Amino acid sequence: MSSLVRLCAVDEVSEGEPRRVVVDGYPPLAVYQVGDDYFVTADTCTHGMASLCEGYQDGEEIECPYHGGAFNIKSGEPLAFPCTEPLETVPVELADDALWVASRAGA
Amino acid sequence: MTSIVNATTNPAVLDWPQTDEGFAVPYDVFTSPDVYAREQERIFRGENWSFVALEAEIPNSGDYKTTFIGDTPVVVTRDDEGGINVIQNRCAHRGALVCRELRGNAAHLECVYHQWAYDLKGKLLGVPFRRGVKGKGGMPKSFDLGAHGLDVLRTESLAGLVFATFSDEAPPLADYLGPTTVAAVTRIFNRPVAVLGDQRQFMHGNWKLYAENTRDPYHASLLHLFHNTFGLYRASQQGASVMDGDGRHSLLYTRASTTDEAVDREIYKDSRSLNSEFRLQDPSLLAGRADFDDDITLVILSIFPNVIVQQIANTLAVRQIVTHGEDGFELVWTHFGYADDDEEMRAIRIKQSNLIGPAGLISMEDGEAVEIVQKAVVRDRERASYIAMGGGRAEDAEHLVTEGAIIGFWEAYRQQMAAA
Repeated sequence: MSSLVRLCAVDEVSEGEPRRVVVDGYPPLAVYQVGDDYFVTADTCTHGMASLCEGYQDGEEIECPYHGGAFNIKSGEPLAFPCTEPLETVPVELADDALWVASRAGA
Repeated sequence: MTSIVNATTNPAVLDWPQTDEGFAVPYDVFTSPDVYAREQERIFRGENWSFVALEAEIPNSGDYKTTFIGDTPVVVTRDDEGGINVIQNRCAHRGALVCRELRGNAAHLECVYHQWAYDLKGKLLGVPFRRGVKGKGGMPKSFDLGAHGLDVLRTESLAGLVFATFSDEAPPLADYLGPTTVAAVTRIFNRPVAVLGDQRQFMHGNWKLYAENTRDPYHASLLHLFHNTFGLYRASQQGASVMDGDGRHSLLYTRASTTDEAVDREIYKDSRSLNSEFRLQDPSLLAGRADFDDDITLVILSIFPNVIVQQIANTLAVRQIVTHGEDGFELVWTHFGYADDDEEMRAIRIKQSNLIGPAGLISMEDGEAVEIVQKAVVRDRERASYIAMGGGRAEDAEHLVTEGAIIGFWEAYRQQMAAA
């Protein structure tokens, strides 16, 4: 079984306030709460050098602060102009009141 | 001589001299900034259609070109439904040029200043930092993207020529052009065309001097020595000058040249314009094929206010006027052939295109003609020209020794510029 790396505590993320986390082997990541669940996508918008965590979350949609493009948090699918490239999504596990993803350290 | 400028009321509204014979154009029309400003409002934003593009310049979805109506910048786009849009090139934010390229292909238009983005129909799509950043700034809650699109003009096409107008009152394009103009356009644009390229020429003179020049069959065999020397245009030819659109538009055409040397010598006598002893070193310059079933070999169709459609032997082109103040304008030549031309025909057209354009063997003198008038009239605002060749009235003629179409233009112009 591959090892996991800890991103953050569960209570560091709330709906409407996604958290940006940097771990080895991954681009900067964005951690979201949507309802009772948690999701992780790449934080950098695929359209330009903007941090999605500085944007606007509306349920399962995240709007980029830069030009107002948007993605589906769960699938990474681009939803609004000018975003056309999908966002990378990362499977996340909840354990010990924290959120974890597969380790890519040294990869 | 009394001043012809109606300075007590409006310096842009001129008093036109009364004449017993001929027609007089006050030189102030070529030099007054007030007149120029009024033209931008009354003519280029009035009930007229201005040419902006050939459809063949923007064939594919996302294609665009930038141009002007008068001196107002516009963008012409082909959207993803195949429609053509003519949009003012002015950002809804703080007025910048949105599109700064001459032509290209893009999925949307984006202003460089603040990256406001518009679709190809002018609808506002995105405003950076609309929601602010980390809760600070952003547009007011009431901000509605739909209320801040680009200004879109009324657009119509005829036979692949795209026109636009600022006016809701301008009649439908075909009515504006008139039956003679429509027939002359559709004769040339009888099947899909292919653009060969374009040239740009700046003339240091008033745009209306070119309007006169292209309605003037009188000068052609006298100023353009190439025409006369190599038999492309002589006053003895059969031809006609026909007006349309209540004098606004002018069609000049000639039939294939006569080769009656005796007649030509008699007409031109000692004129410097005729020396039929000259021969082209490379006669293939004029070798070509018939493009049409009739025997008309030259057409100059001058469409008010800003475009000329031409056929000279096998060269086909549109010439668009872009005004830059009262003493300058750009002439944009777009050369074309037919989409179904074979390689040899394309080569013929390209070789013959040496006849036209800014340095064209036939066309080159027109730039000079414009500029030598502008230079000479500069300080004589109260003086006027004298136009009487052919009778001095706005009348059609079945010959080429006339200035009637020039008078037609001025009468139509004067009406459009008159005090409201």
